[in-house]
Amino acid sequence: MTDKMRIMVVDDEMIVRESFYHWFNKYGHDVDTAASGKEALEKLEKRPFDLLFVDIKMPGMDGLELLDHVKSLYPETEVVIITAYGSIDSAVKAMKSGASDYLLKPFKPDHINLVMEKINQQKALKTEYQYLKNQIGEMTRFDDIIGQSPAMTRVFEMIPEVAESDTTVLLTGETGTGKELVAKAIHAKSSRANYPFIAINCGAMTESLLESELFGHSKGAFTGANKNRKGFLEVVSGGTLFLDEVGEISLKMQVDMLRVLEEKTIKRIGSNQSIDVDFRLICATSRNLEELIRAGTFREDFYYRINVIEIRIPPLRERKADVPLLVRHFLAKYSRETTKHVDHIDGAAEKLLKAYDWPGNVRELENAIERAVVLSKARTLTGRDFSFLKTAPPKEINDRSLLDLEKRHIRNVLDECGWNVSQAARILDINRSTLHKKINKYGLRK
Amino acid sequence: MKDPEKYAVGLVAMGRIPEIALNIVSAHISGYLNLPSRCLPMLALPPECFDKKRFQYDAAKLIQYLERQAFADCIKIIALAEGDLFLPIFTHVLGEAQQGGTHAVISLSRLQSTENGLKSPDSKFYERIAKVALHELGHLFNLFHCRDTRCLMHFSGTIETLDAISLNYCSYCQRFLEDAHQRMGIVKEHF
Repeated sequence: MTDKMRIMVVDDEMIVRESFYHWFNKYGHDVDTAASGKEALEKLEKRPFDLLFVDIKMPGMDGLELLDHVKSLYPETEVVIITAYGSIDSAVKAMKSGASDYLLKPFKPDHINLVMEKINQQKALKTEYQYLKNQIGEMTRFDDIIGQSPAMTRVFEMIPEVAESDTTVLLTGETGTGKELVAKAIHAKSSRANYPFIAINCGAMTESLLESELFGHSKGAFTGANKNRKGFLEVVSGGTLFLDEVGEISLKMQVDMLRVLEEKTIKRIGSNQSIDVDFRLICATSRNLEELIRAGTFREDFYYRINVIEIRIPPLRERKADVPLLVRHFLAKYSRETTKHVDHIDGAAEKLLKAYDWPGNVRELENAIERAVVLSKARTLTGRDFSFLKTAPPKEINDRSLLDLEKRHIRNVLDECGWNVSQAARILDINRSTLHKKINKYGLRK
Repeated sequence: MKDPEKYAVGLVAMGRIPEIALNIVSAHISGYLNLPSRCLPMLALPPECFDKKRFQYDAAKLIQYLERQAFADCIKIIALAEGDLFLPIFTHVLGEAQQGGTHAVISLSRLQSTENGLKSPDSKFYERIAKVALHELGHLFNLFHCRDTRCLMHFSGTIETLDAISLNYCSYCQRFLEDAHQRMGIVKEHF
């Protein structure tokens, strides 16, 4: 009939408690009884119960009072109210207070089975909901953002803090650094996690298409608009809207978006009717917005509206310590996806990948691993498998003095360690205070 | 069998119970559980177990009454009662047993009629008696209600649901029954 449950029967009449006790024993349930509400609460404090059968009329604390206590202290415990004929009003009151069901005694034996089936289904649904919720959490946690460098650790620390608030976030960083992954992680950790996450690449759309996609349109608004259509600002309701490459949107669209953010309402194209919208905005850009403001192509007021919290995603060349980690991750991913057993990389290849500058950042590294895995005929990737990487020609060294070389070397090591001075000092084999002195001497800045 | 009587199931008629009902239960216990049974002296239905408001017998009280009787050596006792049975929380029960205990009682009162009050054929009546008796005996051997809707240990609160189950324990309940027998020292080679 049902899964085994921990059941407590709360009734001041011993024969009722015993009847229930023996009945549930026949199903192998773990049954306990209590003669009063007080005793029931004492037992609940000691161990959890899945289900309580509570008589509504008891001396001292009555069933309704006990129900209130149970629902506030142990909301996961289901409560079925037992009542006599003629006290339907109390049963209704109990249902309103959160009881799962009620039984009018005496009841047909089949009836209790139906109630148990219902409770079991409710519990199964709750379990399934919790499982799916956890699955979503698992799928969207920081697993896809790989990194243990100090620069990425700072980003990881910021994600849950930022997620808690509902303010707009601006993600800055070069293309391919994983801005969308960070946006998804913020969404997944926020209270809006169970609502949609919609990502729009503003750079890939014309102004009119972007306007139509965001605001929707009413029938007849323009040629081809043969029916009403909701825009993403409506569809995202309750969730998070991610505008990638926000630096590409037109000045007109910036004004429109500013108005939406301030008024929390939109009008579909071709309609005068205001529609309330509720979403969190996360923007991202690989461009320097302050330069765009100076150039007059980006509105300052819009910039300050979207840049309440800024998270800078470092380029891969500033966190080269993460390269081996990322390589292993992508190697495992593409080895699995392509079903080719390419699951190793030799030292020379790893050194090469670590030395490369990765102008396309993590995305470029991922593509490189995918390509190497697909084309490789051996289980281990070697330097030859990455011969397609265009290594930059060695930079002309104009400053040939030892001091210039030292300055350049210290800067490179600091960048590689994400400006973790202790770590850089260890690599340079000097102590921290010496490194600080040299940083000051050469006027190095992060 | 070395000492068959040692494992006998005692059968008690409470009230006016046709002899054939006792014979049917005895034959099924022998056929399904490989156990002997013995008819014990008939008992009258005790008036103290009768609820005048409900016009029914309290099954729990009847079992307590059976416990007080000094029956000769029997591993389990099943009483066949003439009157309709109830438990304080239920409108009625077809039978009641002590889970993993010694005493059970079944009522014949509802077994000969259909849900709409018509009389069922005798063959159906006998089949129902056997089903309820084997079900309650299962409880005495500590079998729980079974999820399998065709199994004898599946709960049936009405004649219709009783008719829907088969006159067989499912393979799992059969196995649990054998386990229970083994624990009690009732091994197959004894028979």
